[in-house]
Amino acid sequence: MKPVAFDYTRPRSISAALELLDSNPNAKILAGGQTLGPMLNLRLVQPELLIDITRIPELAAVTEGDDGIGIGACVTHAAIEDGRIGEPANGYLNRVASGIAYRAVRTRGTIGGSLSHADPAADWLAALLALNGELEIVGANGTRRAALDAFVTGAMETDLGPSELVAAVRIPKRSRAIRHGYHKICRKTGEFADAIGAVAIDDKKGEFRMAAAGGSHAPIVFTDPRHLFRSADPMDADSFDIEMGGAALRDAGMNADDYDLRLRAITLQRAVHDAVQR
Amino acid sequence: MNRITLTVNGKEITREVTPRTNLADFLREELFLTGTHVGCEHGVCGACTVVVDGEISRSCITYAVTCDGAEIRTIEDFDDDPLMEKLRHAFSAEHALQCGYCTPGMLVAARDLIRRGAAGDEKVIRVGMSGNLCRCTGYMGIVKAIATVAGDYELVEDQAAVDRPLGPAPGPFAHDSLKEGKPEAARPTDRAKHTPHEAAPTLAAHPAGNVQTGEMVQEGKFTKLTQMITVNHPRDAVWALMGDIEKVAGCMPGVSLDRPPENNHVEGRMLVKLGPINADLKGEADVTRDEDKWRGTIDGKGRDARSASLARGRVEYELSEEDAGESTLVTVSIAYSLAGPLAQFSRGGIVRDLVTRLAGAFAQNLEARLEGREVAGEAQALDAGSLVFSVLWERIRSLFARLAGRKQN
Repeated sequence: MKPVAFDYTRPRSISAALELLDSNPNAKILAGGQTLGPMLNLRLVQPELLIDITRIPELAAVTEGDDGIGIGACVTHAAIEDGRIGEPANGYLNRVASGIAYRAVRTRGTIGGSLSHADPAADWLAALLALNGELEIVGANGTRRAALDAFVTGAMETDLGPSELVAAVRIPKRSRAIRHGYHKICRKTGEFADAIGAVAIDDKKGEFRMAAAGGSHAPIVFTDPRHLFRSADPMDADSFDIEMGGAALRDAGMNADDYDLRLRAITLQRAVHDAVQR
Repeated sequence: MNRITLTVNGKEITREVTPRTNLADFLREELFLTGTHVGCEHGVCGACTVVVDGEISRSCITYAVTCDGAEIRTIEDFDDDPLMEKLRHAFSAEHALQCGYCTPGMLVAARDLIRRGAAGDEKVIRVGMSGNLCRCTGYMGIVKAIATVAGDYELVEDQAAVDRPLGPAPGPFAHDSLKEGKPEAARPTDRAKHTPHEAAPTLAAHPAGNVQTGEMVQEGKFTKLTQMITVNHPRDAVWALMGDIEKVAGCMPGVSLDRPPENNHVEGRMLVKLGPINADLKGEADVTRDEDKWRGTIDGKGRDARSASLARGRVEYELSEEDAGESTLVTVSIAYSLAGPLAQFSRGGIVRDLVTRLAGAFAQNLEARLEGREVAGEAQALDAGSLVFSVLWERIRSLFARLAGRKQN
């Protein structure tokens, strides 16, 4: 199918983009278009105006700060996969990026677009929830920071205001000792994941975060999942209890059937395996 | 129309394009480069794969206007490319094509896989080529052909690849025809200005203690979710309240009625937002009440004019006495079905997630109303942190979502 007719504009600054967004209630932000493109072609989305933000220099840049790095919203998955922004989080982001969809999608799809869309079956959401990532969101009142777990309010639902846009993703600085693990289950390689497990384990600091996503349910984050292990040592991945994991997801509000809960718990266990091997 | 200037297969070209023209159609219909094939037209099949500024892209979900200043290479440009020549011979020798429809995309993607040094053993090649579908060969020949060529290929350092912009091509520093003129102004229209007649209640963040949610079940074409609410009022009082259609409608996030109900019939709309998708359902509902059985139903249907999708919804409630008549158990079920384009996408779970949240908000707002409290957020305008819906009666129609097989942005 062909999209409905829309107008197109390409602001050169964030402030110009925000102005356009604010004055056009039926406008959509276009970054890489790898989600929006199909939705437009299928006429699921019928905007009057597309605001292309890929030529705003700040959005396609990486900044290093004392507390971590900021990845511009328009940085592509392929740029991260290829190590063109270095190896944030000990190479974890590069690994996750290389498994997103297909190369021809990764070359245009962007990290900020993926997170703004908040599809629970997409990779960045789960991966960065485990890493306790933050977003830099710009709007008429300036820039605000939002923890990713507060930003996502449901499957494909976020607290992004109608006149706001995601400017950057902040990856907190962590010790080299932190281990990240990631595992997803897809029916077909590169397709939306049925289940995703992501973990971050920092033994020295005693931090342990787990994110379960995939499919159609809003993601769940466990900030201290040690009680889900039969062993006292969370590095003993096999001792992660799949039954207890599934029950904990249900108790945390995931209204999924037993199969879906189990599938997610299995990906969590495999993600721990992945982290331990690093 | 927007004027764009770009380089296609080494030639600089300037053309006027409509923003919705995708790059594949532009190449085929403006430039007659018909080697680029269009298969699924929503980023799933890979037949339209071309090279944009050195990296492969899907030209069916890349709009030509965004390629202003970019350098495009299509299958026609690889006649003299040594790596592509080897691939052509190998595809021929290994019977890697039959009808040939997927072949241009396969070749462009395979060349890129080898160029990046990303073609390893058979499994790695299969994963690397998973974005290109072939319905004839079973992939055996394709994988074998790529393995043969990759085995002999000597990786060359590609500084251009290292230096590429971090964002989608062509990036902030490319030639930009739009910059020279004034960007086309957006034209606000009436449909964009529509605001619901009544402010929609927001969704509460946490389930209230008095609401119990059951499992979602399938009943024929309907998906149904049942919830139970206990309220500390006698059944008569609750029954009277449930008879006030406007008040009950106000509990559904986003519903707005066109006018007061007449003869148990209401008309109105329900605006539902899911991600980038907005559905504006206009429709009507009929209310029935069975006083003897303490039961009521609200049957609605609505249509989203833009997508021509239809939704049906049915709310059923039943009141029973608890605590020797001191309190009342309200059992409410919400069932919905979708037809038309919105129903054809396979992410039904996303809709279920949304309906669960809508139904949860409805139950909590209903509980608040029955207990005599304000309905959460009723006085607020549609604001950022809320799920913004404006809805017609209970037809929860939903949204649907997704696109059969693409991936994140």
